[in-house]
Amino acid sequence: MNAHEQIADDLALYALGTLEGAERTAVEKHLRECSACRSELERLRGDAAVLAFSASGARPPARSRERLLAAVAREARRPPAPAARKWPWWGALQWAAAAAVLAVFFLFVRQNDDLKQRVNQLATSSASQQQQLLQAKQLITALSAADADHFVLVASKTPPQPQGRAIYLAKSGTLVFLASNMPALPPEKIYELWLIPTSGAPIPAGLFRPNAEGSGSVVKPPLPVGVEAKTFAITVEPKEGSSAPTSQPIMLGTRG
Amino acid sequence: MSRAASDVVPIDATLVSALRSGDETAMADLYDRYSGVVYSVALRVVGDTGVAEDILQDVFMQLWRNPQAFDANRGSLAGWLAVISRNRAIDFLRKRRPETEIEDVVVNVEPDMVRGAEWSLLLGKIRAVLAGMPGSQRSALEMSFFEGLTHGEIAQKTGEPLGTIKTRIRAGLLALRKACNQ
Repeated sequence: MNAHEQIADDLALYALGTLEGAERTAVEKHLRECSACRSELERLRGDAAVLAFSASGARPPARSRERLLAAVAREARRPPAPAARKWPWWGALQWAAAAAVLAVFFLFVRQNDDLKQRVNQLATSSASQQQQLLQAKQLITALSAADADHFVLVASKTPPQPQGRAIYLAKSGTLVFLASNMPALPPEKIYELWLIPTSGAPIPAGLFRPNAEGSGSVVKPPLPVGVEAKTFAITVEPKEGSSAPTSQPIMLGTRG
Repeated sequence: MSRAASDVVPIDATLVSALRSGDETAMADLYDRYSGVVYSVALRVVGDTGVAEDILQDVFMQLWRNPQAFDANRGSLAGWLAVISRNRAIDFLRKRRPETEIEDVVVNVEPDMVRGAEWSLLLGKIRAVLAGMPGSQRSALEMSFFEGLTHGEIAQKTGEPLGTIKTRIRAGLLALRKACNQ
């Protein structure tokens, strides 16, 4: 019996979120090393969703729609404007939190505790991490804005070079990666980002294909939590991606 | 609101993309498409209409606040929302804080429509598979998913061996997968 077969039943329980203790730890360890089982986990969660569908049939009360849309309106995300200066970021967050209290009180109590805990965690993290997080937030906002203009500035007379920036928080497995000036690829190829851990094999960290301007991004790919990164690398892979690099890295990260 | 089947979509990815731009009408569209599934799942777990409604609100507000958490390339929004709703409902049952960040939930499942003839067909298949399962298997699967019980707790309730419970749950999930792929 191979490792996949041994872990198969436990993986199903893990997908349902009901595996605990040493068995859960063992599954998580195996998942960090096995992309096939990570894919199977996604399929099992899909199977669980199918099971969830079996409960379909009830309709929420009509007032629920108005209640939701009112809450959404209270937390409206408007384009950045002078109003942004009148309302500091944290002030808007507090207002959003206050609105949520009215909408979902009992759930919010738990969420609020969670938010406070995260704020405390952030407060104790290093200034550079906070700076990086802020930068990532701004970059994501800019990237996702339909009307954003993209410019690449380089030293005079220097042709633009391919460049990637990975911002990674090991403790939560959160990764934001932005690339620019990437050469176009033939349709059968794709860029694959790899997390190179301090020990062990490279871990797939997302696929991307640059747009016409050579820009690409990978935001929050599924990564195991708590893996220390030695660096990140990019390889060119077949369009469906690979579970292990099949070519030499064309770009390699340095800490900065 | 009634629309022709071919007119129901802007597809999920488009709607979620509109959410990222702060489009409140996209939120209304998504609610119209998926509130029934989200509410039904929560209601099945918690058995209380008021709590189920609160969970429904919570799930959609999380989508509104963090639409980036859903990756359209990695599964359907219907499946993702159903699993998030179930997880939140189990958190409520167990009186615990949310254990799973919504970004960490990737649900690889095909159906992305929860209305119309295809959906009815799929639902019929799912229910037929469940009805055709041995009672002990269906019961283990439902206790695990809709009640959030561990295999240890199920074994304690039913007096059956742990390994048997595990195998039944996985086999039940695979049977559902097979039915949906046919």
